[in-house]
Amino acid sequence: MNRRSFVGFGGAALAGLALPRPALAAADPAPVLRNWYRLVLELVRHTATYSPPVASRAFGYLGVAAWEALASCRTDTVSLAGQLTGLTALPTCDPALAYDPSAILNATLSRAVAAFFGNTGPTGQRAMQAMARQMGSGLDALPADVLARSESHGQAIAEHIIAWSMTDGGAVVENMGFPMEYVLTDGPAHWVPTSLIRQQQTPLLPDWHKNRPFALPAGNTCALPPPPAYSEAAGSAFHAEAMEVYTTSRSLTEEQKTIARFWSDDPMLSPTPPGHWVEIVLQIIDRDRLDALRSADIMARLGVAMADAFIGCWQAKFAHDLLRPVTYIHRVIDPKWEPLLITPPFPEYPSGHSTLSGAAATVLTATFGADFAFADATHEADGLAARSFPSFWAAAEEAAISRLYGGIHFRAAIDRGLDQGRCIGDHAVRLRTLA
Amino acid sequence: MIRAFGLCLLALPAVAQEVPRFVEETASAGLTHSYSGDWEYMVGGGVAVFDCTGDDRPEVFMAGGAAPAGFWRNDSPTGGALTLTVQTSGLELTGVTGAYPLDVDSDGITDLALLRVGEDVLMRGLGDCRFQRANEAWGFDGGDAWSTAFAATWETGQEFPTLAIGTYIDRTQEAFPWGNCTDNHLHRPAGRGYGTRVPLTPSYCTLSLLFTDWNASGRKSLRVSNDREYYKGGQEQMWHLPTGDAPRLYTEAEGWKRLRIWGMGIASTDLNADGYPEFYLTSMADHKLQTLVAPAPGTTPDYSDVAWARGVTAHRPFVGDDPRPSTGWHAQFADVNNDTRADLFVAKGNVWDMPDFALADPNNLLLQGPDGVFVEVADKAGTASMQPSRGAAVVDLNADGALDLVVVNRNAPAQVWRNAGPVGNWVRLALSQPGPNPTAIGAFVEVQSGDRRQRHEVTVGGGHASGIWGPQHFGLGAADKAQVRVIWPDGHISGWQEVTANQTVVVDR
Repeated sequence: MNRRSFVGFGGAALAGLALPRPALAAADPAPVLRNWYRLVLELVRHTATYSPPVASRAFGYLGVAAWEALASCRTDTVSLAGQLTGLTALPTCDPALAYDPSAILNATLSRAVAAFFGNTGPTGQRAMQAMARQMGSGLDALPADVLARSESHGQAIAEHIIAWSMTDGGAVVENMGFPMEYVLTDGPAHWVPTSLIRQQQTPLLPDWHKNRPFALPAGNTCALPPPPAYSEAAGSAFHAEAMEVYTTSRSLTEEQKTIARFWSDDPMLSPTPPGHWVEIVLQIIDRDRLDALRSADIMARLGVAMADAFIGCWQAKFAHDLLRPVTYIHRVIDPKWEPLLITPPFPEYPSGHSTLSGAAATVLTATFGADFAFADATHEADGLAARSFPSFWAAAEEAAISRLYGGIHFRAAIDRGLDQGRCIGDHAVRLRTLA
Repeated sequence: MIRAFGLCLLALPAVAQEVPRFVEETASAGLTHSYSGDWEYMVGGGVAVFDCTGDDRPEVFMAGGAAPAGFWRNDSPTGGALTLTVQTSGLELTGVTGAYPLDVDSDGITDLALLRVGEDVLMRGLGDCRFQRANEAWGFDGGDAWSTAFAATWETGQEFPTLAIGTYIDRTQEAFPWGNCTDNHLHRPAGRGYGTRVPLTPSYCTLSLLFTDWNASGRKSLRVSNDREYYKGGQEQMWHLPTGDAPRLYTEAEGWKRLRIWGMGIASTDLNADGYPEFYLTSMADHKLQTLVAPAPGTTPDYSDVAWARGVTAHRPFVGDDPRPSTGWHAQFADVNNDTRADLFVAKGNVWDMPDFALADPNNLLLQGPDGVFVEVADKAGTASMQPSRGAAVVDLNADGALDLVVVNRNAPAQVWRNAGPVGNWVRLALSQPGPNPTAIGAFVEVQSGDRRQRHEVTVGGGHASGIWGPQHFGLGAADKAQVRVIWPDGHISGWQEVTANQTVVVDR
């Protein structure tokens, strides 16, 4: 049970159990971690390349980078090298010399965020520079040699992570993830474009499942059974699923509409679904004043789980290549029907948000417990009130069913998506972080 | 009453759907200018075109960004090579992002609204293309924001126009600028000046504003195009403007539908002369062309996007080898071949080395065909500039009836092209009415030639930080005469009157 990894990570216990190298400065790295992550959430929202799969990849690498930065000079922690596919041993500290964890972390995240968000626009570039300056200004009191050594070490960790990331297959995303050419699969069961946007006439990132996973052995490790067989016959299982979407959409309650919009998490208009889960964790970190080491551990596991969730989900999406509800309902039930949410431009089965949320809930439940209540204020700045949940699974299940309320997924995609997420999340839970 | 103005040119042969040839004359015209600056000048870059010498050849003013703005007197001979001469005008301020010409005090002399990073300034025209600051004289509060959009209308019974100024990001927010859009403001007149400005809250980082009678109700509403890159909880907006009452937003209950784009410019025209203008919204990747779902009295603001069907998505470069999505800025409907059908110009250019979007992003010139579908011709016409363009104006600079093109580029030289034809016949209509609002901003002008009817709403605003002040240009194709009428701002409809092609005509109330 991985929860044992966190024994002793509570703020007061840290000094007693952790065994820092000599002369580590006392500066708390927690603000460095929180502030960089807050900026990353904005960069995800405001960088056009950052569709949900791409965002999940960045969260995976940044989480690992943050963990390695904070763990690398300690004797009570374990590197993820050797546990994550392709991650080799990272630079280590000289045990005879002093380092500052805040300076290490700031250097790591400054470099890593700049690399993973190199595509962001002029405002994002400006913000990254401002953040590096602001976080760096708090380190001015450090002895010059400690600061220089720490920054050098942090940058070396970042470079190691960046180099690792370049070989995973997902480093280059062109045309915001929409291939210039794509051959649709023949047959009525298969996905066809649903958007009037010219750019979205090919599916988003059809080769994403070929990326190297983090903790998942392979993209198809948590493969799913096929959805109900396509049929236009009334009374068939497939027709019944479509009718459920149709009838539900025509009688949505205000609460159901709120749920659909709360979890809509549209790219470029929100931090995306993986960013939503990161934001939830940031709120918990703030609320419960979690220390930097524990926070980084959570971000690493969550990032790894979510990145693997999109790889696994995309493997299933393009293996089954199922059409969206709007296509079927227009063809078979009601040509004028419109879903509440904008239908995403890629195949339907399983639901990405369901797989992702299942993976996130699995990791966070293992971390915080099954009945960990929290409030989620992710979208308050966008005018959506906070929602409260008794557990991470309650939130994940609401995120999943929101796709049915929104009219963009059938029931099977939701239920099986959660199953797939649970399977994928378990691999991140099994990662070892404490010696 | 109809008055001919200026020379009546020989009728040009009508060559419908032929692509006019645009000849770049930037260097020979004497235009040397760049809209320059760093982050605060990544948007804006407007041009204002207006005649302040009275020769029917409009002068040119360009925003300079961090550098001083520039003014050029237009000395182009009729139908000849474009000739622009730098002249000191009093408009040479720094920090200017855009400019819109209009006659604020109805004295018959064009004034200018200068949008700035810092205080916006109203510049009163003194005649002879000289201008002086009028903020204090007119009680105008220019604020201290990053201003990026402007529109004006005359509300009933007012001596001065109502002004709307759109602003962008709180420029003090360096690390977290997102979600920090500053307020737009409505400046309503109080006699011969302005009262306290009214914030148009919520504001969502606006890049274009336009007063329009979108539903043929006789009342203007304010359309607002917003940049989703920076707002939170935002969307495109439209405000009611009730006389004597506070502005209020159109709501979902009234049929307004949420649209969230990188809104950068608004162009409007009534593409089918049904009394209900269409709206073209520039953005990144796909642009939008909105037409009312139910164009009829009492309709709701429910628009469908017909950009793809009409061939104007302009979503990626149409020439060159850069496959990335486009970034659109200024847009303007204008009949560049005078075939009676509005064509569409779109200025394109990367914001500032954004790798997700095309860096070599040619401007579009889309000719409308008889079937209403637009076809790209910028490469054939010679206007497919790859410079990072922002503001622009499609306007006749040499009084030959062929619309020329001037474009402002960011951190790159501005450009000007002469339209060398072939083009069809044309007429330009200048409206004149007594009292305030002498040029009848807010009127509709209708032109009937053969079986073609065209309809323009006379507006100040829209585009991207750029405005044109002058007669309405109509292509007439092969027709050598046309019937015209005006629906004046107060709703009075003049009778149909005949005009002869290829001249500028003043239509008096």
